[in-house]
Amino acid sequence: MENSQQLTALLIWPMLGSILAWFIPKASQRIYSLFISIVQFALVIYVAYPVITQTGQGLEQTLPWLSDLGIQLSLKLDSTSVWFVLLSGFVSFVVLGMKGQWYRRNTRLFSSMAFFLIFSINAAFLSSNLIVFYLSYEAVFIPMILMVGIWGSSTKANSVFRFFLMSFFGSILMLVSIFYLSYLYFLKTGIFSANLNDLLKLSNENSPAMLWCFAGFFLAFAIKVPLFPFHGWLKEVYVNAPAPATIWMSAILSKLGVYGFIRFVGPLFPEAILSAQGILLALAAFSVIYAAFLAIQAKDPKALLSYSSISHLGFVMLGVFSMGASAKTSAIVLSVSHGLTSLVLFYLYDLIVKRKEDVSLEAYSGLAKKFPILFVCLFIGVLASVSLPGTFNFVGEFLVLIHAYPVSALCTILAGIGVIFGAVYMLKFYQKLGFGVSSDAQVAEVAEDISGFDLIVIVLILALIIYFGFQPSLFLGGMTNV
Amino acid sequence: MFDSSTITLIFPWIILGFGIMATMLASSVRIETRLPAKLLTIFTLVLVMITSAKLFNLDTTITINGFIEVSHLSCMTLFFISAISLIFVVGSGGYLEKEKLHISDFYNLVLLMVLGASVLVSAKDLFVMFIALEVMSLPAYALVGFRRNDSRSNEAALKYFILGGALGAVYLLGASFIFGASGSTQLSQIFEWSKIHNGDVLLFLVGHILVLFAFLFKAAAAPFHFWKPDVYEGSPVAVTGLMATVITTAAFVVLVRLFHMVDFQSQSFVPYLESLKQLIRVVAVLSLVVGSTIMILQKNLKRLLAYSAINHTGYILLGLLGTMSKPEQIYSVWFYLAGYAVISCGLFLLLSQSETRNDQGLELVDLTGLMKRNPLVTALASIFFLSMAGMPFTVGFFTKYTVFMSSIASGEVVFVIIAAICTVIGAYGYLRPVALMVMRDPDPTAAEFNGTKSNQALIIMLAVLCLVLGVFPQALIQLTKGMELIP
Repeated sequence: MENSQQLTALLIWPMLGSILAWFIPKASQRIYSLFISIVQFALVIYVAYPVITQTGQGLEQTLPWLSDLGIQLSLKLDSTSVWFVLLSGFVSFVVLGMKGQWYRRNTRLFSSMAFFLIFSINAAFLSSNLIVFYLSYEAVFIPMILMVGIWGSSTKANSVFRFFLMSFFGSILMLVSIFYLSYLYFLKTGIFSANLNDLLKLSNENSPAMLWCFAGFFLAFAIKVPLFPFHGWLKEVYVNAPAPATIWMSAILSKLGVYGFIRFVGPLFPEAILSAQGILLALAAFSVIYAAFLAIQAKDPKALLSYSSISHLGFVMLGVFSMGASAKTSAIVLSVSHGLTSLVLFYLYDLIVKRKEDVSLEAYSGLAKKFPILFVCLFIGVLASVSLPGTFNFVGEFLVLIHAYPVSALCTILAGIGVIFGAVYMLKFYQKLGFGVSSDAQVAEVAEDISGFDLIVIVLILALIIYFGFQPSLFLGGMTNV
Repeated sequence: MFDSSTITLIFPWIILGFGIMATMLASSVRIETRLPAKLLTIFTLVLVMITSAKLFNLDTTITINGFIEVSHLSCMTLFFISAISLIFVVGSGGYLEKEKLHISDFYNLVLLMVLGASVLVSAKDLFVMFIALEVMSLPAYALVGFRRNDSRSNEAALKYFILGGALGAVYLLGASFIFGASGSTQLSQIFEWSKIHNGDVLLFLVGHILVLFAFLFKAAAAPFHFWKPDVYEGSPVAVTGLMATVITTAAFVVLVRLFHMVDFQSQSFVPYLESLKQLIRVVAVLSLVVGSTIMILQKNLKRLLAYSAINHTGYILLGLLGTMSKPEQIYSVWFYLAGYAVISCGLFLLLSQSETRNDQGLELVDLTGLMKRNPLVTALASIFFLSMAGMPFTVGFFTKYTVFMSSIASGEVVFVIIAAICTVIGAYGYLRPVALMVMRDPDPTAAEFNGTKSNQALIIMLAVLCLVLGVFPQALIQLTKGMELIP
């Protein structure tokens, strides 16, 4: 581990962006947001570059903040967190370039909240102190609630409440578990600490208390991911949220849950996971299948995409619960690929919605002829989502299945069947949107095919998806025994 | 028996006494002469703050004849109480004007209440405590009924007065039992007695619990909370704010003192400690559950805040529970009180800005769509509400954090889990007004918010303080760690 002062830059810069946004004229907010987020992404790459190239080595930085409360601002960028931070930097930059009503109404609030969100996400991914992690994990709610509440669609209030209450319920029990772990550590050493490195010394204890603490953590992250049966909040929020919020939630915030499992739950409670591994794998596999069924039946395309997101995250969790370093790497690979795929799908769907007034799946038809380039892009996105070989998702799902098979053949096979269902609903999605009898009247007057910033960004993402589909070695440095 | 050092020690109270007399004179001249009374009050409170701040660097605790203690704890609380009263006195002029309550008697009564509260927090004798309690409560009854043409205000005052009087009698009964059992009314002597006492403690226990009831009533812990919503709703906003901050703080300082009245290390008090703990557990859990669940059903904002206050009482009692076996954790209680006072100060000052069309008080629906009409008030109110809910980066998070930490450190895990669940329920209650303000379209019949400049400035200051303490709570925690409890 190298000691590095650069990690704080990843926190200070977005915070600065969040504050400065209030002093920028409304008309130039989009340019401003793009500028800040591109610089942020560049910063992330600059900081992450040495970590990626020399795997195993990481950066570390500790700042004294609230040491008398057991809180230390210790940041850590290693081969686990680096991918999530990179993904979040990239997604944020793409999302902030999207045009929409958030750049027309309450614009300053939007930019400010967006950068506050980036700040909290970075803090959550970087922190190796559990209390600071909890703080940032919770702080994510504030911008998210405001985004859904202000720029979301009309029936948003209840969905926001359900989202908030379910997540808050999970995370506050996690806080209690964190306290309890710190207390156990205190009993052992006489020092009150919530640092991961310290608490890891408790991990070989196998007591009922540890099992309860595991339950607290599990609930928090399972709701965040979400894993069946904790997915109740997801659909309404995804559907009602404005496009940037949906993308952030599906591409990044769900990964906070995944990251929490990989970073904290796995190392802290190896015994508890091993004893419950059968149930956990079954839950993950069932998530894949169940969400796929929900997606097949969904009427609203955005709901379909949301369910598909749950289904893919079930795969990720299958990888996480298989345990072991390589399984962990495969889960990370799939997380990143799912982040990119859901980014491109929700982005394109937003572009289509802007060209359409009616959002029921039945009402779409024959748009492919009108917007050929857009639908070619969407087709590649759909193929990526069904994990066609040659796309990034394929690499991830393949690796996950390989690593899950020795642990539980049954769950792996079940999840594998889920891939087929995935093809069913995604192709249905594409067919309904793109083909069928064209009905000109429903298309907005000003609609034109994808161009400009949108096109560049979409092509960039698709290129990344395909490139990593053929050349995933960048991610596989941590992989040992394939 | 006056030497000069004693006079410096009791200087704050002397100043308060002179201030009360002066404001009384001001009101006797002409009842509408309010400016002199207001200025006098501000002047008095500032002087009290300065003189009590001078006592901060006292290294030892001085007890005057065993009755009154001058210590870090009492000086800081005194400073804190006068600072909060000052904020309300400066900030609520516009409100009093609007409600046609702006007469100098208001200031006189506020000073009297501050005097009672300030003696209460330093009292080391059961009878001094009683007198101080009455000196604090009587002006409070009058202030609650200050809107004399409003039937709800009258009802609230009467209810508060009768219940308060009855609980005062309960307190006296308890104090007499304690005196009967231990032979003293001075806390330090009772403590010494408990160290050497061997044998039956039943009479003492009954007395102790009765005494505690009186102050649990003042702090509005469930099941002694029934007066709180009505009184909050009926009294003028500025008075509600003073009750939520000054009276709560004073009541909790006394509660802590009373809880730690006996030496729990002593052999004969080990089962005693357990039964006392059981009492706090029941009261804390009831307060948490009642406060949070009933809060989410409220339509009136003041009633909502009343139940929220009951809920917060539950957290503070939880912190108190943590101190029973680890007295050094007492700072979590002080820190919670300070943080809570900052939040409710801001929130009540903000409420005093509101102008509803009907006379029913501020309902939740009156906030509908406020963001479009008044973004500044929305932002400020959201900060306070989120802070009450305990969201990160506000002071509300760290207050809950320290309380949870201290009670887990003394092994009360189950209760912390209950408290955590109540936090979620409570968060829904606090989020409802925020959602109404932010997510709905404006409603033309909704309330207007117009504050005077001083009021607005104070609220902004408090909101900033909320956020600053939410990131850097260390200074305040260090201060509260200095406030040790000396038997």
